[in-house]
Amino acid sequence: MAHWLQILVLGLLLGGVYAMMASGLTLLFGVMRVVNLAHAAFILIASYMTYALFEGLTLDPMISLFVTMPLMFGLGVGLYLLLFPRLEESPRYVEMTVLLTFGLALIVEGLLTFTFTGTFRSVRPEYASTSIMIGDLFVPTSQLYASLISFALLILLWVFLRFTKTGTAIRATMQNRAAAQIVGVNVRRISALSFGLGMSLAGAAGSLLSFMFPFFPARHWQWIALLLALIVLGGMGSIKGAVIGALLLAVASAFVTDLVGPTWSPITFYLTLFLILMVRPQGLFGAKVRL
Amino acid sequence: MALLEVEDVVAGYGAGPDILTGLSVTIEEGTSYCIVGPNGAGKSTLLRAIAGFLKPRAGEVRLDGVLMNGSRPDQMLAAGICFVPQDASLFPMMTVRENLAMGGYLVNDRALLRQRMDMVYETFPILAERRGQNAGTLSGGEQQMVTLGRALMIEPRVVMIDEPSLGLAPMIADQIFEKIRGFGALGITVVLVEQNAVKGLENVDWGIVLDLGSKDFEGPADGILADPRIRELYLGKTMSKGMT
Ligand SMILES: Nc1ncnc2c1ncn2[C@@H]1O[C@H](COP(=O)(O)OP(=O)(O)O)[C@@H](O)[C@H]1O
Ligand SMILES: [Mg+2]
Repeated sequence: MAHWLQILVLGLLLGGVYAMMASGLTLLFGVMRVVNLAHAAFILIASYMTYALFEGLTLDPMISLFVTMPLMFGLGVGLYLLLFPRLEESPRYVEMTVLLTFGLALIVEGLLTFTFTGTFRSVRPEYASTSIMIGDLFVPTSQLYASLISFALLILLWVFLRFTKTGTAIRATMQNRAAAQIVGVNVRRISALSFGLGMSLAGAAGSLLSFMFPFFPARHWQWIALLLALIVLGGMGSIKGAVIGALLLAVASAFVTDLVGPTWSPITFYLTLFLILMVRPQGLFGAKVRL
Repeated sequence: MALLEVEDVVAGYGAGPDILTGLSVTIEEGTSYCIVGPNGAGKSTLLRAIAGFLKPRAGEVRLDGVLMNGSRPDQMLAAGICFVPQDASLFPMMTVRENLAMGGYLVNDRALLRQRMDMVYETFPILAERRGQNAGTLSGGEQQMVTLGRALMIEPRVVMIDEPSLGLAPMIADQIFEKIRGFGALGITVVLVEQNAVKGLENVDWGIVLDLGSKDFEGPADGILADPRIRELYLGKTMSKGMT
């Protein structure tokens, strides 16, 4: 019994971080109908920034969130303004954005390899190798911290979207972009802001992942595959869905790892995804998406 | 000076052909209008060009004599031009109350918004009943009422309503037209677009007939309806299509 609880807790902790990574991606899709294939590459940028700050200034990775989040926010807004207004007019918008973000992912990977080489890196603050016991439960400190921060950021995001005027405008744009324009929402401003928000969540994720897993420039392909699975499972554009999907899949894969071994864990993701989509093609909380 | 002037406007989509081919209409404050014409004449395109959703390729859109070409939809709305598009465009996962509140997005005075919302509930009692329900779960007629109520939240100077009766049962459509007539009493100038030309013209002062992206004819609505020759000439094709 205690053993199962242990697995469940480990799954939920990891799921919290996945949830934050996925919510940035799904937010962007919801507002702009862009599947940002470079999301995980941007996460890696933040991981390397955190690495540089730790090696250079011994800045705690959790403190470096205060650097990576605003920087990534700015990068997001800048990229949006530079690349997207032109595309929005295009009748081939979806195809173009897929190519564009794929290209961005390659560029980021190339730049990171050039700057940091292809070798494995990891950020090792003290808590990266400690753990605490809560009753009978064994909890790696790093995962606990990362998960708590992720949940805190998700709650902040929820409060922002639910209770502020700008947040409401973002939700409105996600539900019906044309209708948002009708009531006077400047959807371009909202898109720029959402791109920034999604990227700052990627920034936070990068800082947190930097002390949870070793990373190298090509690592993002693995992450983006996982993130795409999560947001498709949750229903494209549904943040609630992405969070629940992330927790569900992380727990499922923790149990599979425990029962049949870690080699089977990635397969769980895609198998669960496959099975759920057979029953609910629009995902757990997805509306039927209009592209 | 006319409230809204459209002069020699040319407009189209993307790199496609001109849909509006030099169209001029004048909207006077306090008069209500119905734009009729066959499917594909460019009625919706005209409304989009005025509302800032489509940039005119040539010509002018003037509000109180001020050139508005190239303004964004939110800027046009702030200037008093409200557009209610053809497909009831709501926020399906927000409640009726939240949808109405979104109508007042550009208004910052909370007390004023509360007052207007009460007025909307008075005008559309069914919306008061449904206020806590998600807009996506409403019937077609109720959704149309939400879009009209939402337009009232900003108290625009002009409201342009595209095919409000589309897909509604005749009885429900009549209710909607009755509400739209009520807009005039609130000092809102109504510009209606209708496939069902007779129904549309019965509810306004002035009729404008469009065909192939330009104006065919305009005149007092009752005159158009009363004159069998004009009806034959300008509404024949419209009416027959309207019936199917
Ligand atoms: N989004 C669009 N993209 C390209 N062409 C369009 C679009 N909307 C309408 N059209 C074309 O413009 C013409 C006029 O359409 P519209 O203004 O909707 O006519 P109406 O409202 O009078 O029925 C039609 O030929 C239609 O095919
Ligand atoms: Mg139309």
